[in-house]
Amino acid sequence: MTAHPFDQEMFRESAALYAVGALTPEERRAFAIHLQTCAECADELRSFQSTTDALLRGVPQIDPPLALRDRVLAALEPKGMRAVAPVARPKGAWPRSAAWMSAAALLLVTIGLGSYAIALKQRVSGLEVRLQDTAARLNQSERQAEAATRAATGAQVQLAVLMAPELERVDLAGQSPAPRAAGRAFWSRSRGLVFTAASLPALPAGRIYQLWVVTASNQAISAGLIRPDQSGSVTAWFDTPVDIPAPAAMAVTIEPDGGVPAPTGDKYLLGLSH
Amino acid sequence: MTSISMWVLWAVVQTSAATAAADRATLERIARGDQDAVGELYDRHSRLVYSLALRIVRDQRDAEEVVQEVFAQAWQQSGRYDSARGSVVGWVLNLTRSRAIDRVRGRRARPEAPADGAVLLDLPDGGPAADEQLASADQAAAVRAALEALPFLQRTAVELAFYEGLTHTEIADRLDQPIGTVKTRIRQGLMKLRSQLAGEAR
Repeated sequence: MTAHPFDQEMFRESAALYAVGALTPEERRAFAIHLQTCAECADELRSFQSTTDALLRGVPQIDPPLALRDRVLAALEPKGMRAVAPVARPKGAWPRSAAWMSAAALLLVTIGLGSYAIALKQRVSGLEVRLQDTAARLNQSERQAEAATRAATGAQVQLAVLMAPELERVDLAGQSPAPRAAGRAFWSRSRGLVFTAASLPALPAGRIYQLWVVTASNQAISAGLIRPDQSGSVTAWFDTPVDIPAPAAMAVTIEPDGGVPAPTGDKYLLGLSH
Repeated sequence: MTSISMWVLWAVVQTSAATAAADRATLERIARGDQDAVGELYDRHSRLVYSLALRIVRDQRDAEEVVQEVFAQAWQQSGRYDSARGSVVGWVLNLTRSRAIDRVRGRRARPEAPADGAVLLDLPDGGPAADEQLASADQAAAVRAALEALPFLQRTAVELAFYEGLTHTEIADRLDQPIGTVKTRIRQGLMKLRSQLAGEAR
C-alpha cells in the first residue's frame, strides 16, 4: 500500500459530510478521488446510503398538480432534436434547388441567432438580479445599523437591558423563507430581552411572527409576538421570566395571529447563543 | 418512536423490492426511446419527486419546473443509471435534489416571493397505488420524527446541508458556529439517524 497523501482519519470524517453534500467543492473533488483508492472510506460512505435515501423520502408528501403530468410528457419531445435534424442533415434525397438550400441555411441561422439572443437575454437578466441583490444587501446593512442604533438609543427599558451586566447577544440569520432577513437579540436574565430585526417579509393577513427562546433541551418558550413595520424592521422589548433557562438558540417563526403555545410554522430567523 | 413505524418501514422495504424491479424494466424501456415508460415512471414516483422538490425550493412553480427537468433528464440520460449504486427511485430522487438545490442556489440572489400560502392550490394527481402512497407518507413521517428527535444543532446542520445545499462553511456562517463544531454535529447527526433508522427497519 502506498503512503497516504492525506490524513486517513480526516477522510473518514469526510464521508458523512460528503454523503449530505456539505463538503466545499474542492474538498468534494479531493474526497471523490480518494474514494477510488480507499475501500475503508467507500464502506463508510456506503453505510450512509440508506440514511440519505431515507432523507430524500423524509419530507412531507404532497401530490403534484394534476396538469403537471401532461406538461412533463410534452416536454420530452425535443429528444433527438427530430424537428430540426431533417433540415440540418437530410437523409435520403438531396434538396432540389439552391433556393431550398439557402432557405434551410437561413432557417438554421435564424434558429441559431434566436437561441443566442435568448441566452444573452438570460445572462442580462441574471446580471440584473445580481445587481439588485447587491443593492438590497447594502440597504439591509444600512437598515440593520439604523435598527441597532434605535435599539441602543430608544426606550429606556431597552437601554436598561442593553446596559445590563450579564448581557448575552444572539445573532439571528435569515432562513430559507427569508434569506435576507437578520436579527439580533440582547438578553439579560434580570432585565428581559431586546430584539431587533430587519428585512422580514411582509406578513400575510392573519399571520404574525413569534420569537422563541430555545433551551438546551430543545424546548421552545415563546418570548412574544413581532409585527415588523413596512420596511420589515422591528425593535421590541420583551419581559422574560427570571427563572427561564439560558437560551441555547432563538428563532422566529411565522404563526397564526395571536401566537401559538409551541412553534408550528416555518423558521424565518434562527440564531444560536455561544 | 413506536413499533408501528418499525412495521411500516419494514413493509415499505418489501414493496420497494417489487417496485424496484418494475422500475428497472421501465428504465430499460426509456433507454430504448419508449415515451410511455416515462409516464409510468412518473405515475409511480412523481409524488416523491414533487414533494422533495417542494421541500427544497419551497415554491410550487419552481417545484413543478424541477419535476419537469428531472423527468426530462431521466428520459435523456437513462443510460447513466447504474444499478450497482442503488435503486432507480434513489437515482431519480438524487437528480431531484441536485436540480432543486441548483435552483435554490441560483435564486439566492433573487428577491423573495411571498413565502406563505399559494402552495397547495391545484387538485391532487392520481399518483401511485393508494397503499404505497400511504406507506411512503408513513415512512416520510417516520424519517421526520427521527430527524426531530436529534439535538437541535445536529438536526439543523444536517437539514441545512441536505435540503438547502449549504456547505459546512456556509452552515457555520449561517449559524455563527465554528466550522469544526458544524462538521462534528453533521457527522453525529447522520450517525444517529443511521442507527435509529437501521434499528427500526430491522
